[in-house]
Amino acid sequence: MYLLESQHIEKNFGDFRALDDINIGVREGSIFGLLGPNGAGKTTLIRLINRISRPDKGQLLLDGRPMTDNDVSQIGYLPEERGLYKKMKVGEQAVYLAQLKGLSRRDATERLKKWFNRFEIDGWWDHTIEELSKGMQQKVQFIVTVLHEPRLLIFDEPFSGFDPVNATLLKNEIVNLRKKGATVIFSTHNMASVEELCDDIALINKSRVVLDGSVDQIRRSYSRNLYEVVVKRCEGQKIILPEGFSVESCNITDNEETMRVVIPDGGKANDLLTELLPQCQILSIKEILPSMNDIFIQTVQKGGVR
Amino acid sequence: MNKILLVIRREFVTRVRKPSFWILTILVPVLLAALYAVPIYLSMRPIEKSVVLVVDESGIFGGMQRDNSVKTNCSFASTENIEYRYAATVDYAMREMGKDDDISSILYIRRRASDAIPTDACLYYKTDLPPQHVRFDVDKQLQRILRNQLLKAHGITDEEYALISNTKINLRTEDLETGREAFLEVKSGLGLILSVLIFFVIFMFGAQVMRGVVEEKSNRIIEVIVCSVKPFQLMMGKVIGIAMVGLAQFLLWFALTGVGVAVVQHNKSDVFEQARRKHNVTEVATKGSEATQQMEQAAEMATVSEVVEGISSINFKVIVPVFLFFFVFGYLLYATLFAAAGAMCDTDTDTQLFSLPLTIPLLLTLLLMPVIIDSPSGTLSQVLSLIPFTSPVAMMLRVPFGLPPDQQYQLYLSAALLVITIPLCSWIAARIYRNSILRYGRLRFLRRKNNSKLADN
Repeated sequence: MYLLESQHIEKNFGDFRALDDINIGVREGSIFGLLGPNGAGKTTLIRLINRISRPDKGQLLLDGRPMTDNDVSQIGYLPEERGLYKKMKVGEQAVYLAQLKGLSRRDATERLKKWFNRFEIDGWWDHTIEELSKGMQQKVQFIVTVLHEPRLLIFDEPFSGFDPVNATLLKNEIVNLRKKGATVIFSTHNMASVEELCDDIALINKSRVVLDGSVDQIRRSYSRNLYEVVVKRCEGQKIILPEGFSVESCNITDNEETMRVVIPDGGKANDLLTELLPQCQILSIKEILPSMNDIFIQTVQKGGVR
Repeated sequence: MNKILLVIRREFVTRVRKPSFWILTILVPVLLAALYAVPIYLSMRPIEKSVVLVVDESGIFGGMQRDNSVKTNCSFASTENIEYRYAATVDYAMREMGKDDDISSILYIRRRASDAIPTDACLYYKTDLPPQHVRFDVDKQLQRILRNQLLKAHGITDEEYALISNTKINLRTEDLETGREAFLEVKSGLGLILSVLIFFVIFMFGAQVMRGVVEEKSNRIIEVIVCSVKPFQLMMGKVIGIAMVGLAQFLLWFALTGVGVAVVQHNKSDVFEQARRKHNVTEVATKGSEATQQMEQAAEMATVSEVVEGISSINFKVIVPVFLFFFVFGYLLYATLFAAAGAMCDTDTDTQLFSLPLTIPLLLTLLLMPVIIDSPSGTLSQVLSLIPFTSPVAMMLRVPFGLPPDQQYQLYLSAALLVITIPLCSWIAARIYRNSILRYGRLRFLRRKNNSKLADN
């Protein structure tokens, strides 16, 4: 079941088509990566989901029915360009933003105290935002985003501006929120975190979805049958591969020899093993799937059309 | 709680909490009080006594008189702060001046053989310039003595002179039907004050709205806010919140000024009375002959009572509500425009582009004020007081004069037009606002703006 579904979304700015026939589905309880180079239309799509602007064509469905203005209370959005009222006190501001999302003053204060405690910023309630360090401001902004316990969370580059310690803290919180049932849309350029966190992705390039599906599936579909074999090094002996198999790279240390072998179409990893077994001692073998980073670059450079 | 109320509350609370709000709130009544108190204080301040030596070669100004202590209306009369002494010659006077530090200056009236009446006199001073009040007094006494001498020479008594100089014919402007006087000057003055006040308020608080919008935009918090609140709600919340700040400020000003004046008058009423009496006494002492003086005073009193009468002739029951109406709705009209302009700016400096052009209709009306006051029911006045963008100022200039019966409807028409225009204007402003708040660098692409605006809707 899709929590959020976009059907044939189109959006124009003057003569410029920012989004063209966008169809994506975000499964309930998943982490969905919205990828794409700068200017591809990610932020435009996110703004449509947030009902900040309206699509020219197509529609967005939430729980299978068209979205309405009231649905924004079920969404929490952390924009890439972070911003808070600089002169306003932290606690007061957080309560205000939570109230705008429909929480009562009491509930908001109660929940905020818990979050502030968890993020170790409870001493800062009565300070103005400009007195806080950038990292602390980011924490406040994150708390404000998730405070009303929305079903759909949208994070645009959530880790930018965080040091590794706090980035990990944040990552754990995001995973936690998902465990509690939230669905997350995650827009980022950090492909490592996509591989780590996302279940599904959609890659937008030049206003169109050029690649979508689950991360595993996509990586598999981009697989070149590349295997990494580590064998014990045997002095003065050349390893012979089966017919059609080629070594892409080879790395030799004192004791080990690491080879990346491309298996031709129709070939199997087992054939390679059978060939190697009599020749040397095999330490390990594993398939190397292309990284999301490679797929991203490859897809975008190809010009976008699948 | 309704979201728009939340926005209004935040706008109001954050502004009212700022120190600048309270500084302004306290400073204005203090300045007003100072304006009221300083002249009184100055008049109470002990003035250093100065001595003026009079060398009168012409003999007209009492120089030939043997006995200085005899006061006539043809010689210099010492006042509380200025002592006049006669000296026979300039040489003698200069020697005296060298001896006595109190002598601040020498008044020398030269005799010219050719003139029966001297035409100039000179006030000599040593290092320090004689104080202004001395110069004024010397000049006044010179004119008085000369006048009195001439009156005497022509056999005119003081009473006759007073009669001549104080009798004038008053031109009044009266309503044919009610028979009431028009008091045009007082009404023009009131119209001027009210219209300038309206202009000032619209400009000041409109600019605040604009800065508030730009602040949210340059903070980038706008993107978070518009996810929870519709841009229209945010804009109207801001406009109304700031209006309430303005009203609160005005109320506080009135209250503080009132309390301040009351407290001072209660505690220091004797001082005020004293000051006033002293002020009068000083004036009396310097004012030459009793009769002239009384007549002058009477004339002065007449002006004061005329102003009072003029003010009381004004129909405040109409003016106060009309003022409040145009004050509030004029602000609302312009505030939404300021909000839209603010949305198109990225930084505070950008707003300077807009703040003046936006108020041009009002400014123009202020510039046309002489024409409107000259003919409050003329065509131009009628037109300007109906156009919603100029009516807040134009109507305030007209209303103190009272609209002629056949134009009474214009007050309602103007109000109705203003009220109708506000939603229209805020609708347009809200569209511009909505389309602009999330875009940056728009001013650089003014030409592209129109295209994208059309496409965006």
